[in-house]
Amino acid sequence: MLHFSASLTKLLGELKKLPGVGEKTALRLAFHLLKSPANVHALAESLVEVGSRVRFCSTCFGITEADPCHICTGDRDSALICVVEEPQDMLAIERSHSFKGRYHVLHGALSPLSGITPGQLKIRELMERLERGGCNEVILATNFTVEGEATALYLARLIKPLGIRITRLAHGIPLGSDLEYVDLATVQRAMEGRSEV
Amino acid sequence: MKLNRLSIAAFRNLQQVEFNPGERFNILHGNNAQGKTNLLESIYLLGTMKSFRHARNRDLITWQAPHGIIRGWVERDGVTREIALLLEREGKKARIDQKLVTRLTDFFGSLNVVVFAPEELAMLKGSPEARRRYLDRAVFSGSPTYILLYHDYYRLLKNRNALLKTGDMTGLDIWSEQLADAGARLARERIAYLADIEPLLQDYYRTIAGTGETVGIGYRPHGIEREALIADGRNAILAGLERSAHEERRHGTTAVGPHRDDLEFLLDGRLLKLHASQGQQRSFILALKMAEIEYLQRTFGAPPILLLDDMTSELDGERNRNLLGFLQQKEMQVFITTTSLRNIMFDGMDHHTTFHVEQGKVITQR
Repeated sequence: MLHFSASLTKLLGELKKLPGVGEKTALRLAFHLLKSPANVHALAESLVEVGSRVRFCSTCFGITEADPCHICTGDRDSALICVVEEPQDMLAIERSHSFKGRYHVLHGALSPLSGITPGQLKIRELMERLERGGCNEVILATNFTVEGEATALYLARLIKPLGIRITRLAHGIPLGSDLEYVDLATVQRAMEGRSEV
Repeated sequence: MKLNRLSIAAFRNLQQVEFNPGERFNILHGNNAQGKTNLLESIYLLGTMKSFRHARNRDLITWQAPHGIIRGWVERDGVTREIALLLEREGKKARIDQKLVTRLTDFFGSLNVVVFAPEELAMLKGSPEARRRYLDRAVFSGSPTYILLYHDYYRLLKNRNALLKTGDMTGLDIWSEQLADAGARLARERIAYLADIEPLLQDYYRTIAGTGETVGIGYRPHGIEREALIADGRNAILAGLERSAHEERRHGTTAVGPHRDDLEFLLDGRLLKLHASQGQQRSFILALKMAEIEYLQRTFGAPPILLLDDMTSELDGERNRNLLGFLQQKEMQVFITTTSLRNIMFDGMDHHTTFHVEQGKVITQR
């Protein structure tokens, strides 16, 4: 489409591969970069750096620069393993400072519809970790979607014979929210999953 | 619940329509293909975001227009709210009182609509799919969260079918269990709805037919005993899947579950479609529609708006009178399409407004 600059066309092509970026956004980003050469360098450097330094931890498959990562090597509770779908989910739990154990990132959820089978997730690696011993509780923190629930159920089935305690994150009314503003489906589920006080 | 004003831009053949309906009977007359049903469809969309003709988004937008807009002003309990629907090729956006609605379940219930069209008569003898579609629509109109259950179930179904097609059955039991869980919930909602509606149906049928016949509406699960489904839906579906394992592997599709279930309509314990006269069938469907309206009124505290698409020619004089009497007594707002004003029984209406629809324009006639 743009014939006046081959390198700009290439940049647009690369930008458009990013999630949420279409033709228009790619153009806006590209022209913004053109206007500020200093930023271009900083951005380019950090992109290259990320590409060469950041990798997945060989134990938990979270993102790290040192392998194994600081969570896997630190003094955190190794008897607790929290299983999440993506590295972002791990960050969300870390930000909450509510968890003192370690993680395992699956890099996805089971989805026959998208062709994702157990073999494509880091499930074998999780089982090897658990079989090595030392863990007495696995917290299944996959998403509350059809695929996330199926993945949790699949893992529970696999882990059960090991005699390890298996738990699932609770779901219900968001904290600090007024009941009247919560969507109907969540209220329904929360009513079904109510607990004794 | 009353629709006081409707404003349409680039929706099907309605390029620009400003429409101020009356508060009771609104007669839309005109030749075929002028836009009468499109007008009803636009009202239905405002209430449900869906078309009763199960059309794709891009078919809803006027040819070569970038997007379509439907806006309606709905009065309820003395408060008027503006509901706006933006139709784009890839989806719809809704605003209520100019505020964007992000959660689907927040949208529903602002405008309750019921449609009555010849397809519903055809449903009696049609495919199970037509009857399922009818039932899902009816359950959903009274219980908006049903749509989430429905989406979950169909997503599980697609996943499970995809897995069956690969021939690799790893993890199939997981999908079976999830499907059975969601399927049991879906079936439970459907069965509960039918149980609520059945006594109403019986009352209205006796009034319309003037006889003491017993009518019924039952849920007929595919490949599973009804009693088993009611007693323990999850395990009944699981057992059904187990029994059909061989068939499933061969066809690569899920053999039992709500996506295969059917409805049966009964007259004195016998199947309506086989044993009832044309007249009895029409009385049945009419009574079913009235029961649906009564149910919605009890659920939401106000009767819905009724869209009668080309029904006057389907119902004879007596049944027409019955229906009008019912609508009058409920003080409902009604939209009726017809090709000929001669078919309309004006003497049965306390208050009516007539509109002529021609080439996508609506002209008030009084």
